[in-house]
Amino acid sequence: MSLLEVRDLSVAYDTDGSTVTAVDRVDFTVERGEFVGLAGESGCGKTTMAMAIPRLLPRFASITTGSVTFDGTDLTKLDDEALSGYRWKEISVVFQGALNALNPVYAVGRQIAEPIKAHEESVGDKEARDRAAELLEAVGIPARRAVDYPHQFSGGMRQRVMIAMALACRPRLVIADEPITALDVMTQAQIIDLLRSLSDRYDLAMILISHDLSVLAQTCDRVAVMYAGRMAEAGPAGDVFGEPGEGTGAQHPYTKRLLRAYPNIHRERVFIDGIPGSPPDLSQPSVGCRFAPRCLDVMPECREVDPELITVGRDHVAACHLLHEQVRA
Amino acid sequence: MTAEARDPAAPVLSIDPVLSIQDLRVEYKLRKEKGRGKLIATAVDGISLQVYPGETLAIVGESGSGKTSLANAVMRLVDAADGRIMFEGTDLVPLRGKALRSVRPRLQMIFQDPFESLDPRRTVLDTVMEPLVIHKIGTPDERRRRAIAALERAGLTPADRIGARYTYELSGGQRQRVAIAAAMILEPSLVVADEPVSMLDVSLRAGILRLMADVRDRQGVAYLFITHDLSLAWMFADRVAVVYLGRVVEEGSPVELIGNPRHPYTQALVSVIPVPDTTVSVDRVVLTGEIPNPTAIPPGCRFHPRCPLYRELGEPEQCRTSDPVLQMVADVEHEVRTPYRVACHHPQAVRTTVEPSSDGPEPVEEDR
Repeated sequence: MSLLEVRDLSVAYDTDGSTVTAVDRVDFTVERGEFVGLAGESGCGKTTMAMAIPRLLPRFASITTGSVTFDGTDLTKLDDEALSGYRWKEISVVFQGALNALNPVYAVGRQIAEPIKAHEESVGDKEARDRAAELLEAVGIPARRAVDYPHQFSGGMRQRVMIAMALACRPRLVIADEPITALDVMTQAQIIDLLRSLSDRYDLAMILISHDLSVLAQTCDRVAVMYAGRMAEAGPAGDVFGEPGEGTGAQHPYTKRLLRAYPNIHRERVFIDGIPGSPPDLSQPSVGCRFAPRCLDVMPECREVDPELITVGRDHVAACHLLHEQVRA
Repeated sequence: MTAEARDPAAPVLSIDPVLSIQDLRVEYKLRKEKGRGKLIATAVDGISLQVYPGETLAIVGESGSGKTSLANAVMRLVDAADGRIMFEGTDLVPLRGKALRSVRPRLQMIFQDPFESLDPRRTVLDTVMEPLVIHKIGTPDERRRRAIAALERAGLTPADRIGARYTYELSGGQRQRVAIAAAMILEPSLVVADEPVSMLDVSLRAGILRLMADVRDRQGVAYLFITHDLSLAWMFADRVAVVYLGRVVEEGSPVELIGNPRHPYTQALVSVIPVPDTTVSVDRVVLTGEIPNPTAIPPGCRFHPRCPLYRELGEPEQCRTSDPVLQMVADVEHEVRTPYRVACHHPQAVRTTVEPSSDGPEPVEEDR
């Protein structure tokens, strides 16, 4: 059994009487200790999908179909009290924009100790403090700095504090939403290395949400690419970012085009390509493949039938009619 | 189009630079600390650089490197504490008011955030015409015609329809196109572009950079291209200067500087460039710590406290005591077409890019 199995998940936002299905019948799996990257342009539904897992959605959003099974329990069926037993202790979140999420008036050690005391009744002040100090050390901050305030830390150091906080109650899954986006390359590399080593050390599963595919390539075991609320492609990082070819490399035209949007200093010095156009307006119901209007390989079928995910390699799936054709041939 | 298609900077050395920065210093005076006098942050600490007509010079650095202060000093948005900024032969540093305004048509800027740089109460057409109005160029009809043409060149079509809209109605990519159209309408000789694509979705970056490249090719504009993204600089620029704590530490052609960097800081930066490709594996050099505070620049080589080579060499005294000068390096192995400079006591060329490991075919363009 996988640690996390998301099946047929849909999440809808109700705004001004119209409904926007931001996540539409998505399947997504995370194994124990696995490091999974979740990618796509802004507005593709990646954050909504990830936040639906611990049900940390805004009030006007709701799960309309599907299940989120964590270690055998469907979280969508739990009431708030039962669910709170999972938050922090089993699944925790490093929120986007976390650099400003720390409370400026409390020392960082106290802020890390807070969830420990709130979620583990048996833990006293001293133990919570000790564990906070330990966590700071684990993320590369000297424990003596527990008494310092957020403004005394740089952006990279504050992100480390946020990661320490996410680990406070020893979760088995951490969801990190764009944890390195606002940081410099060298600090990004430091944080990525830290997440990777924490994942290995604590056998921690991690969902790393990033709009930056190039960052995910060298970090993740597996990567999932969403487009317009649908899962476009998912597979082992070594396959998706591997040598392009039949059955290897990225398979979905969207993933392929995204990959060409980054310079690759190890290959020929060519101008990057973009993807003209923009993702569809999800408040309008669409027919066919959602990428069809921007796809260079579009076929008549693509405008009529929404492609299902099919297996294109070992543990590698993609949703594209071209691939269906290849499989049929 | 390959980026190699343009002959990088080769023919320009015999002509005058459009911009020549000489020993530039930018300082910020911070609050007085009790008994310790004024605290001075030195953001730019003696930088000299040239930009030639039609050339793109990328300034690459992390935050705190001084790259934005350098750009702002060139635009005269901050004052220089020392040095000269020669633009088309005139030193901008002492210029004020009217004299400064008179160079503005030739010197423009594109900002990072198209959501903040454009006035939401203006229409697109007004925004693009504004430089013509300010500098009293043309009749209203002529201005309108030029603005429409500029919008069309910027890929904003139908130009009359888009021109009538307010800038807040546009997407981020469209806004940046408007900003570029406005910056280019006076046909400047130099445009300072401060992270022009870093706020945009990756799918839109190529379009904006291509537009900038088209204008470069058509109008011969030169760019001072400020970025934290070394791989974009590699792709887009004719020359790259890497800055660290207010100094240029290495400068040369992008292919040379990324492929065989000589400064340990550049080597580390190149090694952590994220690449969407798992067929190559690189020995990443992740530096510990952060760029030091510019109020307390380390003595000797300012990079030595974080330098892996300094430790590897057994902490030579020279690195702690002597500030290395940015010097030309002779290149025996490579045919270097642009001057190559590095500021390190122990420069060693290290090959940082690797060929893809598999024997498989090179990636091919998809059919169609």
